[in-house]
Amino acid sequence: MPAIECLHLPNLVCLGNAMVFIYDGSYEGLLSCIFVIFKERKAPVAICAEERYQFTLLDEITRVTTDEASAARVINGVDERTDSQASPLICKLFLSELPESEMLVYQVIQAIIHKGDASVLENFANPFILKAAQVEKMMHREVHRMHAFVRFQKSKDGIFYAAIDPDFDVLPLIGDHFERRYADQSWLIFDTKRHYGLYYDQDKMTFVDADDPILEINAAALNAVGSEDDSFQDERELEYQALWKNYFHAVNISERNNAKLHLRHVPRRYWKYLTEKRLTH
Amino acid sequence: MVLLSAQFYCYTVFIYSIMWVSFQLAIIMASLLEKLRILSDAAKYDASCSSSGSKRANTGKGLGNAEGMGICHSYTEDGRCVSLLKILFTNHCIYDCAYCVSRRSNDVKRAAFTVEDVVDLTINFYRRNYIEGLFLSSGIFKNADYTMERLVRVAKLLRNQHNFNGYIHIKAIPGASPELLHEAGLYADRLSVNIEIPSEASLQKVAPEKNYNDIITPMNYLRGAKEKYVDEKPHIKSTPLFLPAGQSTQMIVGASPENDRHILRLADSLYRTQKLKRVYYSGYVPIATDNRVPDLKAPPLVRENRIYQADWLLRFYGFAVDEIVDDKTPDLDLEIDPKLGYALRNPEKFPVDINRADYEMVLRVPGIGVKSAQKIISSRRHQHLHLDHLKKIGVVLKRARYFISCPGLAVKAGSFQAENIRQAIIASDRVPASAQLGLFG
Repeated sequence: MPAIECLHLPNLVCLGNAMVFIYDGSYEGLLSCIFVIFKERKAPVAICAEERYQFTLLDEITRVTTDEASAARVINGVDERTDSQASPLICKLFLSELPESEMLVYQVIQAIIHKGDASVLENFANPFILKAAQVEKMMHREVHRMHAFVRFQKSKDGIFYAAIDPDFDVLPLIGDHFERRYADQSWLIFDTKRHYGLYYDQDKMTFVDADDPILEINAAALNAVGSEDDSFQDERELEYQALWKNYFHAVNISERNNAKLHLRHVPRRYWKYLTEKRLTH
Repeated sequence: MVLLSAQFYCYTVFIYSIMWVSFQLAIIMASLLEKLRILSDAAKYDASCSSSGSKRANTGKGLGNAEGMGICHSYTEDGRCVSLLKILFTNHCIYDCAYCVSRRSNDVKRAAFTVEDVVDLTINFYRRNYIEGLFLSSGIFKNADYTMERLVRVAKLLRNQHNFNGYIHIKAIPGASPELLHEAGLYADRLSVNIEIPSEASLQKVAPEKNYNDIITPMNYLRGAKEKYVDEKPHIKSTPLFLPAGQSTQMIVGASPENDRHILRLADSLYRTQKLKRVYYSGYVPIATDNRVPDLKAPPLVRENRIYQADWLLRFYGFAVDEIVDDKTPDLDLEIDPKLGYALRNPEKFPVDINRADYEMVLRVPGIGVKSAQKIISSRRHQHLHLDHLKKIGVVLKRARYFISCPGLAVKAGSFQAENIRQAIIASDRVPASAQLGLFG
């Protein structure tokens, strides 16, 4: 399993009133912050990414510079105590982008260090562990939805494109699944909300920013994902889309129609990238 | 002038040839669309949609992977999972089963795919992440082996030519030869033979050309073959995968007079003796105007849902059939779920002490599912559990509170009358019964 790279940042506003720690917004930055908090035995009220921070006079601010060695020590520390169960959980909490996610990361790490072994992760009567389990479940559900709802379109250059717009920043968590499944095709999944993508060239996966050459070259293609412009597509692409839509409607049993259940499983916000639910074509 | 007309002639020929090619393409395209429409429409009454439970990994940079949990890539407007490309190879059929839309005497449009059609659709749908794989069934044309041979050929081509590791579910055609069944088992993840009608007497009535022996024979053969491979596996490293996701079957509910107890007993014995992975239940959709089957106004969806809930109790909750339905109550209560029904019939087994009871008993409390039960067991090792903990863990207290004892519970459990609990829970659900299709809502 390739290392999970945790990218950008929660859209949130932190309003502190006492000891506030500020980091650069990266995963390593957050872990560096937590390293300092432990080392100096501080009790933070909030941990906040620099660009989200709004200053108030009551705050006592500590700005922590990202240091990979400190970050690694935090992760190794919790993993040694939990048979490596903790780091994937902590990364998911960070990627959830929830307003309280940074403090939750700190609280879970504190619970692990305090208890000293993995058993604390099974104590759902601990409010932080329970909350972490709920966030993890929420992330898991979104990951599963992306496994299901990614719809590739084949372009003229043979690359399979998909655009996604997930509720949380799950792109770093879904790559392995698609690499195992589509080992023999090049693919690119782009998060249109967070403006970065994951590109697989049949050899390795790489994260690509919106200004990456692979995107620049194929910008027209990517812009057209989900639109009616088919000029970039493989010549048979629209045919397969038509076949799929035709299939989707033919397997419905109208005597059993159940709109409520349908919407529960396929919420409307996912429709824009679902070939079979899109209104165009 | 001559030159011009020659040019004109060439030009015309050129135009015509282009038109001819696109005309041909249009026919091919239109006919594939039409075939897909007819043959998926005819396959939709098969309830099976599972794509999980296989162990087939992607090896050698091939296409597809059927290792993990199943994925529903979409849901139809009736709320059912779309996981596999579920189609019939053909809807031509030599049989005339009253409950079946493809029966010989029914006046419907007929079509047949070619082996290449099915392979091409599967690969291209899979590459776009529309599906987990293929579920290929068929009407019987000519005879069982002739049909089975084509289904096997599709699977073989996908595996060997296209290095496809996605999920493949094939129908085992009753009466097909053991050699073909065996070959199918080597390529497919799952095979299924549908029982359809839950008793032989009823089957004779609605499908006189079929009998239970033809259904059980392939099941027996496949179970035996799989057991042999499983036994060999520890000793012979090169033992191939054989039906890694096992066998399943389907029963139609409401097309014949069998009660729920009969259906559940049959399912239970299939799980035990045939080692089936799943039994599917399909509420009979009145598709055939044939006086051998009842003329229902609507499919019995609530009954189907209750039977599924009971099936879950058999497989994951340690219940025996007789605890769910017995002589006195041979049919499931349509208004309440079968687990609640069990609790109300057995008041002496409750309340269950959340901090002391065995896992098996915690699991039997209405409102506590497998996940919550596991969380209760692991958390109470660390501390005494309070009502608030249960709420946060995800226990459905509006059900569970009548059947548990734990600190923080205001009213003493066990002081309720069964009928009052029943009414209170029905009132608190207040969801139209037809919408209640999630398991244990």
